Amino acid sequence: MVGPNGSGKTSLIQALLLLRGLTKLPIKDAHGTTPPIASPEIDFRFSPPLDEIEVQMACSTDFVCDLLKVRSPSPELWSQAMSEILKIRSYLFDHYAMGEPARREVGAELTGNAGNLAAVIARWQDRIPAVLKRLETEFCRLLTEFSGLEIVSLHDGRVALAGRLADNNERVFAENMSQGTLYTIATLVLAFDPAPPSIICIEEIDRGIHPRLLREIRDAFYRLSHPASFDEKRAPVQIVATTHSPYLLDLFKDHPEEVVIAQKEGLEARFERLIDRPDYQQLLSEGPLGDIWFSGILGGVPQEKSPEELK
Amino acid sequence: MKLAILSESPADEAALRVLIEGVLGEPIQLVQSALRARGWPSVAQVMPAVIRHLHFNTDADGLAVVVDADDSVIHTETHEAPGYFHPRCRLCQLRAVFRQTVKRLPPARGRQRIFRGVGVAVPAIEGWYLCGRDESVTEAIWLNGLAVGKVPFTRHELKWRVYGTDRPSLPHEINCALVDARRHAVDTRRLENDFPGFRALANDLRTWRTLLNKI
Repeated sequence: MVGPNGSGKTSLIQALLLLRGLTKLPIKDAHGTTPPIASPEIDFRFSPPLDEIEVQMACSTDFVCDLLKVRSPSPELWSQAMSEILKIRSYLFDHYAMGEPARREVGAELTGNAGNLAAVIARWQDRIPAVLKRLETEFCRLLTEFSGLEIVSLHDGRVALAGRLADNNERVFAENMSQGTLYTIATLVLAFDPAPPSIICIEEIDRGIHPRLLREIRDAFYRLSHPASFDEKRAPVQIVATTHSPYLLDLFKDHPEEVVIAQKEGLEARFERLIDRPDYQQLLSEGPLGDIWFSGILGGVPQEKSPEELK
Repeated sequence: MKLAILSESPADEAALRVLIEGVLGEPIQLVQSALRARGWPSVAQVMPAVIRHLHFNTDADGLAVVVDADDSVIHTETHEAPGYFHPRCRLCQLRAVFRQTVKRLPPARGRQRIFRGVGVAVPAIEGWYLCGRDESVTEAIWLNGLAVGKVPFTRHELKWRVYGTDRPSLPHEINCALVDARRHAVDTRRLENDFPGFRALANDLRTWRTLLNKI
């Protein structure tokens, strides 16, 4: 998803998280509730085998959207959908938190800010070392200054993540690693997770990453969303990612169906898939997709006031 | 020979290096690796700066550049006429950029100018990789398809045929590219015959070597 600040990209992710949160609660009326106020509604649709389920989210007050209307052919199917919805995860990596040591017991899965990165890797080292080896190999291929990853047990019982430098074999603790290095490790943890979430929402996937490494970041997420292309045998993960990088957008010119442009129009947000534009093929033939987007002809750019309006 | 390669990806660079060595029949020395452009038209936009850099700051003999044709006008024999320039043909455009850039540069590092090696992969470099193992993929077949308004294959299809997916990882892409590039490097005549966009590059390289040998 691309679009100006405040165009609803984060709100869309929040809607998915709200769906997850409401799904945890008992559904009072599974066959319809009329919202007490006229409010926006969000319809959720699912892919097979859950495609017969309809879920509608509405608001009970101006600012509280907590009504969930579910139509399902059977309770069993809804139960199956619930288990997938509960596996939705959202990430906004925080490199300060990621640099911190973590308690070993909190490593079951990556938290939203990836602050337990060291604990997750420590757990993989104990339980799935072969997977960790694959992750480490990929990490060293992407960031060639490193020759490996290490987990260091601290005196207080916590574990710290460190990288080993290829040149002099020195150890660099996570707290001293660059922002982009930490984001790359966290991305690889998501990409190689043998039991990944059903949907991954992630903000600013290009943040801290050199433009030439963006292809690798894209491919790490393709490993999740298109596992067959990477010889992985597991269900695909849906990725909802936001970016402001024209360079990252360039990498999707062959897959316009994967690009969603968010547009802010007054108080409304509108989402449009690039492939739904009738002229997208011609547009893509005329320059890099990132440049075309930046020019403004696709929309998804900040609104500017004219000099007259500024007066 | 010392040369630089300007390409869109590490996979393209790896394959081009092998193909160039195949044409020249000798190893080359890559002067500055990993010169990259963001596809068309960025290649043409960045090329003058790259040429100037190589001319003044390195001892490169020349620069090799290959771009995908995508849906652009394909270079034909007509375009080779003296003084002819087609504004929508990428080979004509790249040659023009090269010509206009080097003619403004004074001699440097003991040479008059750096040499040009320009090729265009029609419609994409995966076509070159398939050459000789997929009879339905040649530049002529693409041109005939354009002439009748029906493309004989898409770039998506070419990716599937080469990589087995249209979302290859970079290591997989490099491996596949190198396998086919090495196959061609043994004898480049088939690739030159089926893909005149590659022949243009090969001719540039041979001219370049001849001129260097005279110096």
